[in-house]
Amino acid sequence: MIERPHHVPERLGLLSGAAADPFLTEDLLRGVQGHGGVDLAKVVEPLPEDDARWAVEPLRDLVDDAMFQFKENRTDADGWLAPRLHATLRLTRREAADKRIWNHIALAVAPDYVAWRHLPTASEGKVPRINPVRFMGAPDRQCFSRLWWAAEMFRNGADYTPVVRACSNQDLIHNSLRVSLVDHRPTAQALVRILERGTATTGREINGLITAINTAGATVIYDAFAEDEPRDPWALRQWITDAESAPPVPRHVLPTGPDEEPVREDSVAKLTEYFADLFETAPVRGRTP
Amino acid sequence: MKFYPYKRLNRPIALRVMSATLKLPDGTFDPLDTSAYSVPQRTVALGVAQHEDWISARIGLSATLPPGATDADAPWSGLRVLAVLTDGDTNLRTTVELRQDAPDSKEWSGQIEVLRDDHAGRASLAAYAVATVDGVEGRSITETDADWTVDVVSEEPLGGLRLDVKQAGFSKSAREWLRPYADVPWVIDTSGRLPLVMINTDVEGFSDLLGGNGGGIENKIHELLLSQMATDVWTAVFHSAVGDLEVEPDGSPVFPTDWRGEVLREMLPDVAPGLHVEEALRRVHRRRTDDTGWVELQTRIHYAAVRRAGASKAVANALRALQQMNREDSE
Repeated sequence: MIERPHHVPERLGLLSGAAADPFLTEDLLRGVQGHGGVDLAKVVEPLPEDDARWAVEPLRDLVDDAMFQFKENRTDADGWLAPRLHATLRLTRREAADKRIWNHIALAVAPDYVAWRHLPTASEGKVPRINPVRFMGAPDRQCFSRLWWAAEMFRNGADYTPVVRACSNQDLIHNSLRVSLVDHRPTAQALVRILERGTATTGREINGLITAINTAGATVIYDAFAEDEPRDPWALRQWITDAESAPPVPRHVLPTGPDEEPVREDSVAKLTEYFADLFETAPVRGRTP
Repeated sequence: MKFYPYKRLNRPIALRVMSATLKLPDGTFDPLDTSAYSVPQRTVALGVAQHEDWISARIGLSATLPPGATDADAPWSGLRVLAVLTDGDTNLRTTVELRQDAPDSKEWSGQIEVLRDDHAGRASLAAYAVATVDGVEGRSITETDADWTVDVVSEEPLGGLRLDVKQAGFSKSAREWLRPYADVPWVIDTSGRLPLVMINTDVEGFSDLLGGNGGGIENKIHELLLSQMATDVWTAVFHSAVGDLEVEPDGSPVFPTDWRGEVLREMLPDVAPGLHVEEALRRVHRRRTDDTGWVELQTRIHYAAVRRAGASKAVANALRALQQMNREDSE
């Protein structure tokens, strides 16, 4: 079993893929034994000292709470952790695009969480292993970056409620991030609304809908009839500055995100109807027309 | 060729960058001169040495629609032109509407805002003409055929593959992961946002040779070594790009959006000649994941790498210099 590392760093740092690779051992992937953490600390590049966001403790507390609260249903931890991870780290997208910070969290800060959430699996006759992409991999697969991006793409300005809804469907967060559909904020909000209304709910239905939206999107530019507000760089910068004095994120109610303009309601409503129509005729595996 | 179930224009939009202005933290603006963007490279470089902390950049755009877009009897209505900035690294999408310069004009112009916090490297800029066709809103009736690149880091508007090159003494480097590689002159790390070449300064005289501008045979050896390194880099980046592909539910691979995508588009025509790049990627992916054919492909991958690294020229130049030296010795 992978336990909390003996040596947990005090500050977040940057861990490059090449430097991290020797620590992605067979024992770790099989969930047998982790590393002490001391040797790993030597290959980490530090982040600036004066930034409160890089303190590890609030993050480590969060994953401990998640593991305690969701031990009966680990998948449900996603919807709880995603907004709280996002509101604790307070990253810009530029910072979040750097995989090294996610490598560091997964390998140095909370390898036990990665192993807890993504259990070793195997095809017939093979030794069960944790998929290595959960430690170091594409942003939509890595254990922590997938949660951060889900929160970033599905939040509606400062409101994380849609993130919780989106995380309740694993196919939605996985596939929509992969095809960059939700880069358009009104599309992301409309997808959540489709889920809420029960128009499409199962993984297969969501996959069918995403494929249909993507296909239609090759000839229809959704931005043209579902407009979004322009982004305001200052709201995010202020939120990041406030990290200095921010208390730990609330455990029972949702935290508050950066004070950005919410998506326009008329855009979301229009797209929701549009997607619902698309879904009527979308090919869905297992659905008889 | 794609088939569209509605009437479209068959020629693309011509999109040009007309200006670029940085907004600085103190609220002032710094207009960049024209060397910050290149029309042939379709690239805007927003990295300026003095202003690493800029907040946002305003890029002035001009788009020319092909003939027929604004005809009175065109089969569409409500024509608009949108400029769309996308960034695969940060999942960002920004859209602005361009304004028609005059009624019935083919020229449209406007500005798009690029926020520094929203990008790590390169973003793509495209333009779409959208209209209502046969009652369907938002149809794209034509678009740009090649995107512009907005590079928030580079100081020069250059297209193509970008590398990070760093020097360090491997045996004593603070980057401890380099220590096991202390006996080689260089290593390549393709796991980051940009491919990185680490040069080992422990090899005596190596960094002088690489950095030097000496004449004669040294120059030629320098060139030869660079092409050798470049061959290694191209081979490594190709393998890392095909080794890390996302796959659609139907099993077909997806083109990566970062440098891996650029590498594949650049090299695939040499690796799988005669095929469209999408088909070439499917073939290469099949070869790698199926039981057969991957080994046979290595020669072609190496060929594609050697061509890009300029090895033929470097070898020929070195040989000529050697011949010349021998001749001078024997005279």
